[in-house]
Amino acid sequence: MSPTIIVEQLSKTYKVPEREGGFGAAVRSFFKRRYKDVKAVQEVSFSIAQGEVVGFLGPNGAGKTTTLKMLSGLLHPTGGKANVLGFTPWELKTDYLRSMTLVMGQRNRLSWDIPAADSFLLAQAIYRIPDDEYRKTYKELDELLELAPLMKKPVRNLSLGERMKCEIAAGLLHRPKVLFLDEPTIGLDISGQARIREFLREYNRRTGATILLTSHYMADVTALCERIIIIHQGQLKYDGGIGNLSRRIAPFKLIGVMLAKSNGFDLSRYGEPVQNEEDAEKHYIRVKAGDVTKVTSRMLSDLPIHDITITDPPIEDVIERAFNE
Amino acid sequence: MYFFKLISTLFKVNVQMAVAYRADALVNILLNIMWLGWELLGLSIIFSNTDTLGGWGFGELIALLGVFRIVHTMMMTLVWPNTEKFNQSIRDGSMDYTILQPVSSMFLVTFSRINIWRTWDLVLSIVLIVIGVNLAGEVATPLSILNFILLTLSGAVVIYSLWIVMIAFTFYFTKFDNNVTILQALLDSGRYPVSVYPPWLQVIVTFIIPIAVATTIPVQGLRQELGTPQVLMFAVIAAVSFLVASLFWKAGLKRYSGASS
Amino acid sequence: MPAIFKRLWQVNWAEQWQYRANLIMYILYWLVSPIIYLAVWTSIATANGNVSGLTANDFITYYMILLIVDQLTSNIIIHIFAYKVQDGTLSGELIKPIHPMLTSTLVNDIAFKTLNLIVLTPIWIVLVLLFKPQFDSVSISGILLSIPAILLGYMINYLLSGTITSLAFWTTRVYSIHEFYYALILLFAGQFVPLQLMPEVIQNIARFLPFQLFMYLPIQIIQGKLPTNAIVQGYITGILWFAVALMVFRLVWREGVKRYSAVGA
Repeated sequence: MSPTIIVEQLSKTYKVPEREGGFGAAVRSFFKRRYKDVKAVQEVSFSIAQGEVVGFLGPNGAGKTTTLKMLSGLLHPTGGKANVLGFTPWELKTDYLRSMTLVMGQRNRLSWDIPAADSFLLAQAIYRIPDDEYRKTYKELDELLELAPLMKKPVRNLSLGERMKCEIAAGLLHRPKVLFLDEPTIGLDISGQARIREFLREYNRRTGATILLTSHYMADVTALCERIIIIHQGQLKYDGGIGNLSRRIAPFKLIGVMLAKSNGFDLSRYGEPVQNEEDAEKHYIRVKAGDVTKVTSRMLSDLPIHDITITDPPIEDVIERAFNE
Repeated sequence: MYFFKLISTLFKVNVQMAVAYRADALVNILLNIMWLGWELLGLSIIFSNTDTLGGWGFGELIALLGVFRIVHTMMMTLVWPNTEKFNQSIRDGSMDYTILQPVSSMFLVTFSRINIWRTWDLVLSIVLIVIGVNLAGEVATPLSILNFILLTLSGAVVIYSLWIVMIAFTFYFTKFDNNVTILQALLDSGRYPVSVYPPWLQVIVTFIIPIAVATTIPVQGLRQELGTPQVLMFAVIAAVSFLVASLFWKAGLKRYSGASS
Repeated sequence: MPAIFKRLWQVNWAEQWQYRANLIMYILYWLVSPIIYLAVWTSIATANGNVSGLTANDFITYYMILLIVDQLTSNIIIHIFAYKVQDGTLSGELIKPIHPMLTSTLVNDIAFKTLNLIVLTPIWIVLVLLFKPQFDSVSISGILLSIPAILLGYMINYLLSGTITSLAFWTTRVYSIHEFYYALILLFAGQFVPLQLMPEVIQNIARFLPFQLFMYLPIQIIQGKLPTNAIVQGYITGILWFAVALMVFRLVWREGVKRYSAVGA
């Protein structure tokens, strides 16, 4: 059987108008715009078999979303080929649109002013889903996601987690064979993330759908995907099992400490200091996973520590580190 | 059948939404009645000072008011609410989902919002037209009625096509929230016969933003001023403008997906 | 106090200058309705020789002056302010030691008006070239005499619009209420038709309403078309309405803010 998704030498170059400051430049650019080419995706090739769940990873701006948009048909590539379920996505053939779905964690499919139930009915009409099939699918989704209590409220009154459940369900009513998920768990709390993950695993098991997902959270990927594809600066850097990757990337942990007195201590004795913009109060160092216990106990005895945390480094860091070196 | 089911679902969804905000119904109806009273008062003031306006009598102006309100209803129930929805979907990116639906995006963009409470105005418009025609002493023949319906539909299609072109411009210039302001502004000119306006304004509202095609011209059909060839010509114009608008929309979508750049 | 106004002015001016394109669209939008009435009445006057003694030129000059007077006396409070109550951003302004409606909103409105006039001027000149009005009846003394009326008209309109906008503390439908108010202005201020062509009844009502100060009265003063006693009467009505509007505004505003802080929006 041929693979469900085949991508060959897929490229996308955006033309971005170049702007210089000053009035003269503005006038000149009015008549003759100069463009700069931004290579978002460069000759990426891979193929995915039916029923696979593949994690699509890369730092922000690596070209993940651009690739997903091309595979779903929203964007035309500047070069290369893609074939999903026998269709060329960007031809936007009705039969293709009816057999795939794209769910973007940061975009709303459901209308805010009306209850999700109404948007579901609309989707039923648009996708021409027969009543009995619709009822069956809905029952199944309800079982997995516990939708019933959420359906009657206007979407604007739902919490982020509740809304995401409805968004995903709305994208699956027509039983797509291929799912493109762009950050489906973004912004959710830990339990919300786990629930969506659990659902996707179960959905894949039951329907044999092919899933390609991007995520910020390493846990999403490790829990769901046996195989991952990494792109960085538009280029494919890795395609293979997740086990191999961990071997390739030396596993690190981040230790964050809040000190009683902030200056005068040299943290580089314990590990490599790193910046963390989200949490400026703490000082962070990067330590090999195996050394964490040893280093923390040393730090606790040496330093006036108020608070200490141990976390996984963000996925971007891991990849950046692995492929920039 | 499929489109019928789709429209009826869209209608149902919008009815439910309207019911959820039913206090708005009363406000809408009151405003509607107020503006109608206002317009009638306006006409009576005009005709207490003159017998004809741009060559038209009182009854004809009432009929014109009816036709104007049909166009106005189309704008209030579909065009303005969907413009708002469209502009928002461009801003927040949910346009992506609209494009990926297995049905024409132009259709979805046209019908996803329906302001139910304004539709009753259609009944009022038809009453106005009937009264106006009677007051004017016109004899409505089956042919003139047919002409009138054909002309009204053609006019509506022309304005609809113009609207599609206007919002499709947003695909080229994403920061273009004022995409329909000109149409909104000039719509009011449809209350009066186009012959009232100075020549430069006549050119604008006939050829550039053709409000007159949907208001003055259908009433001319009722007055039997237009022969069958002319009526058919307007039907052809409508068909052509719809075709052009669809092509323009498709080109805009291509532009949006980066196919043309 | 003047320092606050100066500072607010600088901020507003810089901010609004960025939205020139929107501004031009707004002006075009706002121009259409007076031009339609101008066209309607000029066409009637041309067809009949005159309308109750008014010639085509009288209508053209009336509406050309109206374009400027209306711009001066109108305001956009409802657009600046109503949404602030609804989305809660007003809370931040209420704790400042200045009256939100009578300082920042006021300056915002005046900055907008000034910009509008700058954009309007070239358009107005084009319209003058198109319609070729003879401004024979306009005199310097008329213009000078109209300034207090325009100011008074602006202040009354501002306070009444402010009162309606303050209803946003109670209801989300202020825009609909404002639509009623707008219809009253169209009718009683002399936009739809110069008031002297109205039926006797409506003229008599209009004389005791504040709306004629928004357009009709200043325009007629500028054109020297009003006898002194009518001007005096207009000013007296205006001053009385100003007092009433001020009281009503203060009352509604006070109660509204009370309610706003009680609900804790």
